[in-house]
Amino acid sequence: MFPLKALAFGAGLLALPGLAAAGALTVYSAGPGALIENLAADFTDQTGIEVNVFQSTTGQVMARLESEQANPLADVVISASWDSAESLHQEGLLHEYLSPNADTVPDFLKSDHYVAQGVSALALVWNQDSSVPQPADWSDLTDAAYRDQVTMPDPAQSGAAFELISGLLTAKGEDATWSLMEALADNDMIVPGPNARALNPVLQGAKSVVFGAVDYISLGQQAEGEAIEVIFPESGTVIAPRPMMILASTSMPEEAERFIDFVLSEQGQARVAERYLMPARTDIEALRPTLEELTLIEVDSEAMNAQREEILTRFREATGS
Amino acid sequence: MLAAIASRLPRITGAGVVMLLTAAALLMLVGLPLLYVVLQAIFPGWSRGELAGAFGLFVPLLSDPALLGLLGNTLRLGVAVVAVCALLAIPLGALRALARVPGGGAWDLIFLIPFMIPPYIAALSWMLTLQPRGYAEQLTGFSASGFLFSFSGIVFVMVLNVFPVVYFAVSRTMMSVGGRYASAARVSGAGAWRAFWRITLPLSTPGIAASLLLVFALTIEEFGTPATLGAQAGYKVLVTGIHERFADWPIDIPGAAVLSLLLVMLAMAAFYLQHWLVTRRSFVSQTGKPAAVEPIELGLWRWPVLALFGLVGAISVGVPILAVLATAFTGTLSGGLTPENLSLRHFEALFANRGGALQALSTSLGLAIGAALLTGVLGALVGYLVVRAHLRGKGLLDLLSLLPNTMPGIVVAVGLILAWNQSWWPIQVYNTGAMLLLAYACLLLPYPVRYASAAFRQMGESLEAAARVCGAGFFTAFRRILLPALAPSLIVSMLLVFAIASRELVASLMVAPAGMRTVSTFVFGQFEQGSPGVGMAMSAVAIFTTTALLVALTVFSRKRLPIAG
Repeated sequence: MFPLKALAFGAGLLALPGLAAAGALTVYSAGPGALIENLAADFTDQTGIEVNVFQSTTGQVMARLESEQANPLADVVISASWDSAESLHQEGLLHEYLSPNADTVPDFLKSDHYVAQGVSALALVWNQDSSVPQPADWSDLTDAAYRDQVTMPDPAQSGAAFELISGLLTAKGEDATWSLMEALADNDMIVPGPNARALNPVLQGAKSVVFGAVDYISLGQQAEGEAIEVIFPESGTVIAPRPMMILASTSMPEEAERFIDFVLSEQGQARVAERYLMPARTDIEALRPTLEELTLIEVDSEAMNAQREEILTRFREATGS
Repeated sequence: MLAAIASRLPRITGAGVVMLLTAAALLMLVGLPLLYVVLQAIFPGWSRGELAGAFGLFVPLLSDPALLGLLGNTLRLGVAVVAVCALLAIPLGALRALARVPGGGAWDLIFLIPFMIPPYIAALSWMLTLQPRGYAEQLTGFSASGFLFSFSGIVFVMVLNVFPVVYFAVSRTMMSVGGRYASAARVSGAGAWRAFWRITLPLSTPGIAASLLLVFALTIEEFGTPATLGAQAGYKVLVTGIHERFADWPIDIPGAAVLSLLLVMLAMAAFYLQHWLVTRRSFVSQTGKPAAVEPIELGLWRWPVLALFGLVGAISVGVPILAVLATAFTGTLSGGLTPENLSLRHFEALFANRGGALQALSTSLGLAIGAALLTGVLGALVGYLVVRAHLRGKGLLDLLSLLPNTMPGIVVAVGLILAWNQSWWPIQVYNTGAMLLLAYACLLLPYPVRYASAAFRQMGESLEAAARVCGAGFFTAFRRILLPALAPSLIVSMLLVFAIASRELVASLMVAPAGMRTVSTFVFGQFEQGSPGVGMAMSAVAIFTTTALLVALTVFSRKRLPIAG
């Protein structure tokens, strides 16, 4: 027993690497994981600066920032929710920096404290093998043909889905939006959780359409052979830019700025495009429909966020979720 | 308090020091993060270092009418899972302990596997199997989404996840209680059933009650299953409410802390109920004399018994594993189970090691072994301290050792971050792998402590007294007398710790240092980014590796590990 224990204990100790490499840049990023890993590896190749990546969902990244406030560790944060960057800025937690590489980033995707890494849009995702016809617009899904066939990400758990509700409220007005939601709920639409949970039933065919899926994940799956179609409604959709920011508490601002520069370089933006996101820079080619090709709804995010609680409560009432 | 403990310790050479260290370790491992969570609940600005607005959150949160619903749902789920677990696992465990079940020890290994399947993977597997156009419908035309996305469905999936806790506790306890007392009853004229109902079952109460308490705590704390199935069933529990506060911007850590304290209080109530049950009378049944259990020959009954074990094994292990494999080996989900859709591409992606898959696997295994050893040693000592030491405050220590089981992983993780991410610690533990070890040890300590203290309750004090009379010091007595008697329970609990630590998700997501991945964070990441195939491939590799490791361990030390039967 004892030699075995000693052996196992040794193995346990070996698996615990020591302190994180000193002098490494720490980046907290929302998914996709492959993107941030490629970016970090390329950056290290180019500059020799090591990068430690923590990759998770936006919620997890923010929860971690919040609980680390006594002793912040991250240098660079990449989130999937534009409002989270604005909130951190309001709290005075962000380092001021505007990268020279951000020249071709449209004005609404950059500020003095944060800048978009890339942009996703919200779409309808339809399973081609399903028995229901291909939908063209949001309101099509209230049709009886789609009864019990629709899923939607929960706006309380997906920043992008909240943005969509905000967009619909802006474009259609309150009454039309909530009656659309009620009609969808009457048509037995389910709201099973964050993005991936709304998409999985549609992939297997248990349901047929996602109302408001984050497009790049589905485009990637389509490229890998899933029989799905990503549809951008004609009446307009909303975008979800992914802000990058440097924390004011960083001990290595220079390296952090170089990292932002790198992500906004042609090489970095090509990596972003690879994941079926729209690059933040307009002069980099995308593998998918871009801002100019989509019909976009202008959203007054600030006003909408001010009434976030009311909107979510109203959503829960309308959908009974 | 430490001084008070020290002054009341039993006067055995060396014991005082060990007990003091044990109490200190427990306070640091569990007390510290809990303290920080309590402080965070009381002072909403605590994580920023502000003390303003004390208790400001309690009234608005606790007067929310929706909370009563969450609380009721949580209780209902906990009680239902405990009841079904007892109905399923007590007979199985009793049969395994007292009768010669064909297959013997192999069943122990098989019933350990549900524990190595992460709950959210199990729930997802059942979803992929039973939903319309799921694997079951593709193969047999049968789907049962109405059942799966309902209260019964949630209870069904959760029971399959946690029943091994009760199965192992019952079979280990009855093995050690079984033989002599039941034989004595039989000699005195009692029939086999009567001996079981009047002697074996009542004497096994501490072990059974302790394991059912664990199941209750595990159920009210579990996140994966209610989140996966409950959202569609419209069934919300406290834990999902807590997670919602972490899920999206703006994050509400103080609110989550307040709700967690509610969960902790629920578990405390259950703890006192269990405590009342097992301390009402003496359950001392082990005298140290070798008691060979003479297994009952089942005769023709062995076939229905075998069928029962086989059915439970097939449902709790077979279905989830097959669903995991089906997803891992098919190219696309929408392609379904067809020969053309067979593909190794998910495994190729995995072994190309893009996301550090193999590194994640070795990290998880190393941490799980470390956690099992740490909690095993500490659990044995705490169990001894709680049952044997005559000191005031030991009830508090007992309670403290259970509490992590009732705290959602995410809350323990936040407590740990708040406690350890402070610049004044002489050694910086935060942002190293040691945080994961601390988190696992804190969350899983209840298993060894429960199993060990139940075992000590059944052990006569005369054993130790005899050892001391013969001149053995505390260490010798502990190593030569107590540890061997404790080993069956302790080793099973350490295997459970290993199994759970190797796939723990929620706390790992929070405290894993930047740049380090575990199996579960890797799998979760794959699902989040829409690669369920790669996620399931990784799950399959992890489940098979941990199982193989346990089988190897069992074969390697067949005589020493009671799990080999």
